[in-house]
Amino acid sequence: MAEPILAGVAESDLGETPDRNWLDNAAIATVRALEDAGCSLDDVDGVAVAGGDDYMPALVLSEYLDLDEPSFLEGTEIGGSSFEHFCGHVRSAMARDEADVVVVAYGSTRKTGPTDERSLEETHPIDGFVRPTGLFRPPGAYAMAARRHMHEYGTTEEQLAEIAVATREWAAMNPEAAHREPITVDDVLESRKIAEPFNLLDCCLVSDGGGAVVLVSEEKAAELGVPEIAVAGVASTSTHRQDISEMPDMTTTGAAVTGPKAFEQAGITHDDVDVAEIYDSFTYTALVTLEDLGFCEKGEGGEFVSGGTTAPGGDLPMNTQGGGLSYCHPGHFGVFVLIEAARQLRGDYEGDRQVDDAEVAVAHGTGGLLSSSSTVVLRRES
Amino acid sequence: MSAPVEDRREEWEGPVPVPTGATVPFWAGALEGELRYQECDCGHRQLYPRAVCTACGSEDPPFAASDGVGTIYTYTVCHVPGEPGFGDRTPYVVGAIDLAEGPRLLALIDAEPESLEIGARVAVTFWRVSEAAAIPVFVPE
Repeated sequence: MAEPILAGVAESDLGETPDRNWLDNAAIATVRALEDAGCSLDDVDGVAVAGGDDYMPALVLSEYLDLDEPSFLEGTEIGGSSFEHFCGHVRSAMARDEADVVVVAYGSTRKTGPTDERSLEETHPIDGFVRPTGLFRPPGAYAMAARRHMHEYGTTEEQLAEIAVATREWAAMNPEAAHREPITVDDVLESRKIAEPFNLLDCCLVSDGGGAVVLVSEEKAAELGVPEIAVAGVASTSTHRQDISEMPDMTTTGAAVTGPKAFEQAGITHDDVDVAEIYDSFTYTALVTLEDLGFCEKGEGGEFVSGGTTAPGGDLPMNTQGGGLSYCHPGHFGVFVLIEAARQLRGDYEGDRQVDDAEVAVAHGTGGLLSSSSTVVLRRES
Repeated sequence: MSAPVEDRREEWEGPVPVPTGATVPFWAGALEGELRYQECDCGHRQLYPRAVCTACGSEDPPFAASDGVGTIYTYTVCHVPGEPGFGDRTPYVVGAIDLAEGPRLLALIDAEPESLEIGARVAVTFWRVSEAAAIPVFVPE
């Protein structure tokens, strides 16, 4: 099957954007990503959007950008993994010649925008069971899963903290990262308690901002003359949605299904992976995903991430822009793992921030409360 | 089973359940101190209450009464309130409880965090938080 080429990537301004709404941020990221790809709004014939504060986001963004009758429209909402999920749909559409230039976009004002204050009359019936517990979601839900992992496999808070420390080392080299000062395992353990076993530094930050990637057909990529970063494998699934209590086994995520599928499609093994961009809404999210993707045995994630494995110079460079833990997290982080994976494969960076001769990257999204998983394998064609 | 139903309406400032559709029998049971789950004729048991059985597709699977005991599958100690009205309660414990009958339920655990561990046995009690609903809360057995 023809593989879409990831031709352009960009963020909007990150951090606090009080004068922008989600759509502004998605649109700014889109035009910047198009510029990065060397094309323009006139070239766009497909739009895929998730996470906007609107129930018809693909239509809203298409209108906002005054697109001329796009032939591919996608608004499937599976949370933070939506953008990886879209990659598969774009591949199918391009195989049918339905689109040549598709924008995958996200924008939010998670930090400064209005909050959702729906009453229980207006929500899913399960909210009547969950919200009266007072559980702070998502942190409390992920924390419950992490505690179960600690119980079953002896994973420790120190091991979870190692992920935050390694991620911060990458962030220190990223001028766009929100938090760049070095931290230690003790700093993580001594940071404010949020939902045990999570402390503040186990949790992602909260940002405004947007991101976009431009996927083009092989023919269009040749025309543009962009580096050929191919979507070589992609798979998605879900295990539950609203309530962490509905997750069948809190120590195993859908990545155990999507990882093997995406790797097989791409024809790669773990040894081929040069860089991993793994959704890190919390330290545990990254740890359990590494296990489920098969980078180590189930239950051995804590040991795997200890000693700088994922840090600069480690065996598996991970979240090389600083991740959701240190760089940005406007709600749906999935678009940002694609952006960074592409930049590493293009060799955009200098010095220690660039993973040497990176040819294969894994970008993994997680959505909901560990609910959805989507894995994308990106490969630089030589 | 019949578990205690404490009237907490005066002090409760958190969200209150609104019985609707398939959940009505659950909340009605809670007001009477009975923890109910759905047990379909096919044998499948489920919570939260739904209009269909997720095993066989039967509509409106009937309710059965739980014995109200179970074990802690996992839990977290919340230091940041996740809902309005919880600010004065921190830290408080939320657990995922595996009922003896099978279904898993998210609920407050009314206990000191230090006394808890995964696998510990708990029993249900109810806090009445509105005219229409009492919420299940678990305590160590």
